[in-house]
Parts: sequence; structure tokens; C-alpha cells
Amino acid sequence: MEKNIAIKVENLTKNFRIPEHGSPNTIQERFVNPFSKKRMIDFTAVNNLSFEVKKGEFFSVIGPNGAGKSTLLKLISGIYIPTYGNIEVDGKLVPFLELGVGFNPDLSARENVYLNGVILGLTKKEVDKYIDDIFEFAELKEFQDLSIKKFSSGMQVRLAFSIAIQVKSDILVLDEVLAVGDGEFQKKCFAYFDEIVGKKTILFVSHGLASVKKYSDRVLWLKEDKTYEIGDPTEMVEKYSKTF
Amino acid sequence: MNNNDFDLYKQFVKTTFKMRYKGSILGFLWVLLKPFFMFLILFMIFSRVSGSSSGLTSQQYAVYLLSGLIVYTFFNEGMVWGMGSIMERAGLIVKINFRREVVVASSLTMALINFSINLVIVIAVALILNIHITFLGLAYVLLICFTMFLALYGVSFFTSIWLVHVRDLQHIMELVLQLLFYASAVFFPVEMIPENYRFIVYYNPVARFIKAVREALIYGRVTDIKFVLLALVTSLILVIIGSRYFNKHIKKIAEHF
Repeated sequence: MEKNIAIKVENLTKNFRIPEHGSPNTIQERFVNPFSKKRMIDFTAVNNLSFEVKKGEFFSVIGPNGAGKSTLLKLISGIYIPTYGNIEVDGKLVPFLELGVGFNPDLSARENVYLNGVILGLTKKEVDKYIDDIFEFAELKEFQDLSIKKFSSGMQVRLAFSIAIQVKSDILVLDEVLAVGDGEFQKKCFAYFDEIVGKKTILFVSHGLASVKKYSDRVLWLKEDKTYEIGDPTEMVEKYSKTF
Repeated sequence: MNNNDFDLYKQFVKTTFKMRYKGSILGFLWVLLKPFFMFLILFMIFSRVSGSSSGLTSQQYAVYLLSGLIVYTFFNEGMVWGMGSIMERAGLIVKINFRREVVVASSLTMALINFSINLVIVIAVALILNIHITFLGLAYVLLICFTMFLALYGVSFFTSIWLVHVRDLQHIMELVLQLLFYASAVFFPVEMIPENYRFIVYYNPVARFIKAVREALIYGRVTDIKFVLLALVTSLILVIIGSRYFNKHIKKIAEHF
């Protein structure tokens, strides 16, 4: 892989084999209907996709629901494996497919910071070091020992975001993280983006076309028919907006 | 295993531990109370019959019964929690790419912690009842415990994956474990089983472990060492093969939840 490339996707295809109706995960259905064959549907989520993301680039993915955006991110994050094709990633990649993954509602905020931080790849020592900064940034200092189910969803997201930005990474994968949270929180996120733009590679999925246009260097538009286009943000957003 | 994996493992153990008994008034005491009541019931019903027919005093029978119960409980919890470990963390597994083995290891560690606490209690009870526990006997019990842990680890590599594909396994496992309870001579002596059925116990590794633990605790004897060593080697092989199987199939697991 060339030196200035952070993510390289080549001829990537992902097929899912899904049962035709209901979940066949029990033997019961076999007993009830011993002669009916389990029918499976092959469903293509990503079809023959190739692109490269340069280091330091802000690369956005747009497209309608079901176009394969999340599947693509999960493939790049290593949660799914490709059916065909190749993915190469250069650098430490941290996926934020959802903020606050693994938050446990019954634990205190402090305990959750440890849990979530370690899940995201920090060591306990690092969490020890950052924990004050995390609560500072989230503006939740006085709620450290409160159990997190008492938090409003906005507060939870603020905390989660504050943990996430402490994880040292070269590549950030962000899936709709801005969809939640109030205006003030979004402002904070964008302030953070301004700070890291150009330093980190960012793979960004969003329906917020305004922010896509504003921040992206290039945009990948995944279409419902599994074709795609890559290009200039303004042009892509405009073309995409015309489809609805 | 790098630093983060180990920290993650510790976090998982800690949270599971905290969560399991959170919200209950007696909390952690339940770890002790549940086996205790089980013990009390079985002791009251069977101490006469079982104890005398195998020539045990009622003190000896108490330790006999307790040690059987804790070994069986260890096996039971290890099988159930090990198998359910991947399923239980499905929400995490579809979102974050971390070392999945950590999940299996931490679930089994829970069973190990429970067993260790139970073992301390059995030893305390034995001392109160004036049963002399030897160092050798205790060391042997620890070896058996280690062997069982490895076996559970190896098996869980398979079952944790299988459960995701066939959810019925959970119920099948429950049934099998219940049968195993009776086939392991937990509360009655092997001598009570008609001779032509004793092979059930003989070919049942859990029963063999229980028997060896009992002999070690009550009489300080090291028995059945050939079997234990064979089991140790088998378990090691199982862990190696299991870990390969696990690593091969875990990559696709996120699609099957």
C-alpha cells in the first residue's frame, strides 16, 4: 500500500445469507415442518466497491438507508469479514459505530468510563490518567458517582463522546454520532473536528448533509442499487439531494 | 494478550460480578446461600441413608456432600456461563472489534471465583467438624480444579459459538446438566448404585473428579491420579483445538446474532 493511503478498499463485496422468514434458530421449526427446506436469501449489502482514503483526509459516506453504509463501516472496522475483495488499513483505527457502547445503566458514571474506555482500547492506566479530563470535557464532574441510568440521553452521549476522543487513534470511524445530542453538544463535536481535521483520517457517515459538505474532502455516495460515485462534496451532496 | 486485553478481562469480570448480585438485598451472600440451602436440604434427607451405607460419619458425610456440590456447581456454572458468554455480549460484538476470547475467559472466571469461595467454606466447615485437611490433599484439589477449568475453557470455545447458531442448546444443556447431577453421585455414594449401572459413574468425568476431590479432602488421599493427568492432557489439547476453532468461526459471528 502506498505511504499516504490510510484505507484501501478493493473490489469489496459483502453478501449476507439470511433466512427467508422468521428466525430459524430453534430446532422447533424443524419438528413442526420437517419437510420444508430452510430457504435462505442471499442479500448483497455492498457490491464491488473500490476506493482509497488518504491520510488526514475527511472522507464522508452518504446514501439512503439500506445502501450499505453501516455494513461498509463494520467491514472496515473488522467486525464483518468481506465475502470478496480486500480491505487494507494503515494505522490504529477506532470505530465509533455508536457512542457509549457497553455502557451499563446500573453502574456509576465513573465505573462506566472505565468500562467503556477499556472496551474502546484504552488501558486502565490510561483511563486513570484521562478520567478527570473526560468529566471536565463532558461537564459532568459533579455526577461522577451517579448511576448512569439517571443520566439524560444527552448527558450519556456527552460522556461517551468525551471518552471516545481520548482514545489515541490515526483513523476515526464515525457512524451517525452527531445524530444525537443537542445543539450545544454538536457545537462541541465540531470544535473537536476543527482541531483534528488534517491530523487524523476521518471516515464519516451522516445524514447531516450540511456538515458533510462543510467538512469533507471527498464524498462517497452509495446508492440503493449498489452502485456508487465518489467525488467533490458539493457535487455529490447536490446530486444525492435530487434523489428525494 | 496485550495490556488492553487484560484490562478488558478484568473490567468484564468486575462488572459481571457487580451486576450479578446488584439490586438484591443480600447481594453477594447469595453465592453462599444458594449452595448452602441445597446442601441443607440434601443433608437432612440423605445423611442417614447415604452416610451410613458408605460408612461415613455424619460429619464426614457433610463434607462429602459439600465437596460434591461445589465441584458439580463449578462444572454447571462453567458450562452454562461459558456457553452463553458470546451471546451475552452480542451488543458489544457487533459494534466493536476487540479480542473475543476475553468474553469467554471472563465468564469462566466468574465460575472459578464462585468455586474458590465455596472451597474456602468447605475447608472451614471441615476444620470445624474436626476433619483433618492435608496439604497434599488440598494441592490435589487445586490440580483437579485447574484441570476442570481448562476443560471448561476448551468446551466453551465450541459451545459459545454453537449457541449463537442453535439457541436450543441452552435448554439441552440445562437438561444434560440436570441428568449429570444425578449421574455424578453428588449426594449418594457410588455403592448405592446397582453394580451393572455403575459404569455410568465410571465413564462420567465429573463423577470421577468429585470422587477424587472427596478422597483428597476427607482422607487426604491422592486417588485416580492417572485419570486426572489424562484429563489434564486431554483438556490442554481441547483448549488448543478449541481456540483454533473459535478464532476461525468467531470472525463471522457478528452476522449471525
